[in-house]
Amino acid sequence: MEATIEVTGLRKRFGPTVALDGMTFTVTPGKVTGFVGPNGAGKSTTMRAILGLDSVDAGHALVGGRPYRTLRHPLRQVGSLLDAGALQPARTGRNHLLWLAHSQGLGARRVDEVVGQVGLASAIRRRAGSYSLGMRQRLGIAAALLGDPPVLVLDEPVNGMDPEGIRWMRGFLRSLAAEGRAVLVSSHLMSELQDTADHVVIVGRGKVIADVSVADLIESASGDRITLLTTARTQAMTVLAHAGATVAVTGADTLTVSGLSGERVVAVLGENAVPFSEVSAHRASLEEAYMELTRDAVEFHAAVAEEAAR
Amino acid sequence: MKEALHVEWTKLRTVAGTAWLLAAVVLLTVALGVAASAVVSCSGLGCGQDPAKISLTGIAFGQAVVAVLAVLAVGGEYSTGMIRVTFAAIPRRSTVLAAKALVVSGLVSVAGAAAVLVSVLAGRIILPGNGFTEAHGHATLSLADGPVLRAAVGSVLYLVLVGLLALGVATAVRDAAAAIGVVLGLLYLFPIVAAVVSDPDWFKRLQRISPMTAGLAVQATTGVGSLPVSPWAGLGVLGLWAAGALVVGGSLLRWRDA
Repeated sequence: MEATIEVTGLRKRFGPTVALDGMTFTVTPGKVTGFVGPNGAGKSTTMRAILGLDSVDAGHALVGGRPYRTLRHPLRQVGSLLDAGALQPARTGRNHLLWLAHSQGLGARRVDEVVGQVGLASAIRRRAGSYSLGMRQRLGIAAALLGDPPVLVLDEPVNGMDPEGIRWMRGFLRSLAAEGRAVLVSSHLMSELQDTADHVVIVGRGKVIADVSVADLIESASGDRITLLTTARTQAMTVLAHAGATVAVTGADTLTVSGLSGERVVAVLGENAVPFSEVSAHRASLEEAYMELTRDAVEFHAAVAEEAAR
Repeated sequence: MKEALHVEWTKLRTVAGTAWLLAAVVLLTVALGVAASAVVSCSGLGCGQDPAKISLTGIAFGQAVVAVLAVLAVGGEYSTGMIRVTFAAIPRRSTVLAAKALVVSGLVSVAGAAAVLVSVLAGRIILPGNGFTEAHGHATLSLADGPVLRAAVGSVLYLVLVGLLALGVATAVRDAAAAIGVVLGLLYLFPIVAAVVSDPDWFKRLQRISPMTAGLAVQATTGVGSLPVSPWAGLGVLGLWAAGALVVGGSLLRWRDA
């Protein structure tokens, strides 16, 4: 089966609330796709719809070209983690994985393999109720990996993890994608996906705002701007503005310059004998790019609303 | 289906509560059966007592524990959200419900059979000392006796049906506490309401549709002709309640979001 998730025109209402408003995107193999948006944007509802847990009013979600509910051993096709707390506290972690394994025709040996993979072997025979949130996330990842699936759907997997756990999860998600799997990871914080996602689907109010590769997103947010480190801030601003650049102060010794190439900036500073320690191409963070994009979206909404009001 | 059964069996066997509840079914049923056998006496011919029914008195209490066990088999997954993990693993929800029903039925049958056997044996030993003798028209309690065997087997089936009723209700209401309330209400409130109804026709009607009163008619071995419903038909009434609850629960399960 082709390891993809195809979401097409999903619509769903909860009473008067529109949860999904034509959600459409595709998740492709070999990549970590970030699924980002504020709380209430429809991320979890979309994931539940993909997994056949919630019905939708219109549209469809396919995994490898088929609706989830028609899959014979679904966990062998799609591994998922929606809520790490969704287990009975009286059962040991190992027994939780054991019943899941049995549901896919797998045995205890596969359970022990995934437990080793997520580094939970020392605690696996304890009651799951005694686990920290980070340990539950690892157990949830182990459950998602049981069927060695080509597709993974993970809802906020680093939520509540300590920094060490977050670092582990990032590396782990990257390695899963490197193995050729399609990995869909939701987050309400863009910064959590920095250095993890190759592609992001940004959502708001039940639909996709942007569906873009992380490289393109950062490049477009970075523009042709130059970051300049200098102790002679005022002097530098004066000469650069004179040369036709737009200059913004972004730190104590830092200026962001647009409208001039890096070479021209260096030349202008040299001609005027302005001291500087570094000139580099400005690189926006994922968070910065996200803010820029969602600000545009907000302005767009505002403009449309204004027009409608007129 | 085989995998789903394996799953539900693994789930129930890996929480300590299951074993405790099954032990409680046996102990409570036997204890109350022994107590009833010890306190009821027969003073002479036509004392109007039913020795098989007396020895199986505990079933009316053991059923509450059976109801709790069955409710938790579903309600425990809803309270934790684990039901979504279950449905992600086995998307055919009716298969999940059927597997739960079969596994709960199997466990309740085993516990119920143990409880009934010990209760009847205790009655066989205790009752003759309380005047249940040949001279007073009572043969020694024996499973070789047709009506006694029917009462014993029927009591085990009664517990199984109570378990299925509870499973269906729990699936419909998705909350363990509410489900236990509804099931115990259905079982115990009917007889109480019937008791305050003065009209004899309505009294009889209520007894006929009451899951507990009608269902326990299967325990009668004397005066069968004067019962509001015949023994097997009474058990059938409880069977209809259980089937109705499972159909409603199963339909809601199918149409609702998990």
